[in-house]
Amino acid sequence: MRALRIAAVADIHLGEDIRGHYRKKLEGIEHRAEVLLVGGDLTRHGTIEEGQVVADELGDLPIPVVAVLGNHDYHSDADREIAAMLRDAGIIVLDDDAVVIPLDGTRLGVAGGKGFGGGFAGKCASEFGEPETKAFVRHTKDIAERWRHVLKNLDADHRVVLSHYSPVKDTLAGEPPEIYPFLGSYLLAEAADAEGADLIVHGHAHLGTEKGMTPGGIRVRNVALPVIGHSYVVYCLDGEGVH
Amino acid sequence: METPQYVAARIQRALAEDERTNELGIRVDVRGDQVFLRGQVSCEERRHGIEDVAREAAPGLTVHNEVQLLEVSDPGEEEHL
Ligand SMILES: [Fe+2]
Ligand SMILES: [Fe+2]
Repeated sequence: MRALRIAAVADIHLGEDIRGHYRKKLEGIEHRAEVLLVGGDLTRHGTIEEGQVVADELGDLPIPVVAVLGNHDYHSDADREIAAMLRDAGIIVLDDDAVVIPLDGTRLGVAGGKGFGGGFAGKCASEFGEPETKAFVRHTKDIAERWRHVLKNLDADHRVVLSHYSPVKDTLAGEPPEIYPFLGSYLLAEAADAEGADLIVHGHAHLGTEKGMTPGGIRVRNVALPVIGHSYVVYCLDGEGVH
Repeated sequence: METPQYVAARIQRALAEDERTNELGIRVDVRGDQVFLRGQVSCEERRHGIEDVAREAAPGLTVHNEVQLLEVSDPGEEEHL
């Protein structure tokens, strides 16, 4: 098994007002990486028009692109339409499922979806009380359960989890602690730790920090555009995958 | 005079919920009749939109727009994991 170079970014928040700018930043990406992962918040308002800008900016790249949606992409209740437009443009959109991409003899498995909040172990919401609280916590639990199932059945040489919300609080450092429960959930990390992965990539926390780790030792990277300050970052997964 | 904390909260909520902005990452501080906006956005148009929405949410106060344009540089060194 050989090493793989993975480009990643999140929170590009595209719109008509910045059309064409991000695409320019992707020129030559095929010389730096073999795949591009995009961790949600592709738009600002989640409109069809913005979805079209995303499809135009990320479509037809010389390397495969795998994306998930973020909370902004849900704002106008057009998430399904946006996902369909991106798929039409050749972008792989994950929604609590996985894809295996053959890259020159090595199989890269990417699993994930939007994720959700709830907070971190010891300081998190529980499925208790009012129906609104239960629904919030249940949404994250259901997602984590689906990720666990998807990862269990994912047969690949390297395994990466792609999310919008954070699985750990390490990568939230810089955000006000009061809003951590809206930035991620430990249930996402627990699912990945249970089934194994080489890397978890997420966004959403614009004021957070790039590097962190799950309790089980999986590397976590917050690639929100304002955090990385680069058009994307490249992670090189070495020869030995984790299973 | 209205309590500064409530003014700041109202501006922050307006920035998140107003169709023209939908910006969640803007820090709002109110000191007396002065409002300070901080954060990063991708273009000048969005910077101005934030200022407009903040002014409307805080009539009579002076708004200082300290929001910066997000500088995105070319990809750096790759990280080996
Ligand atoms: Fe975002
Ligand atoms: Fe987000």
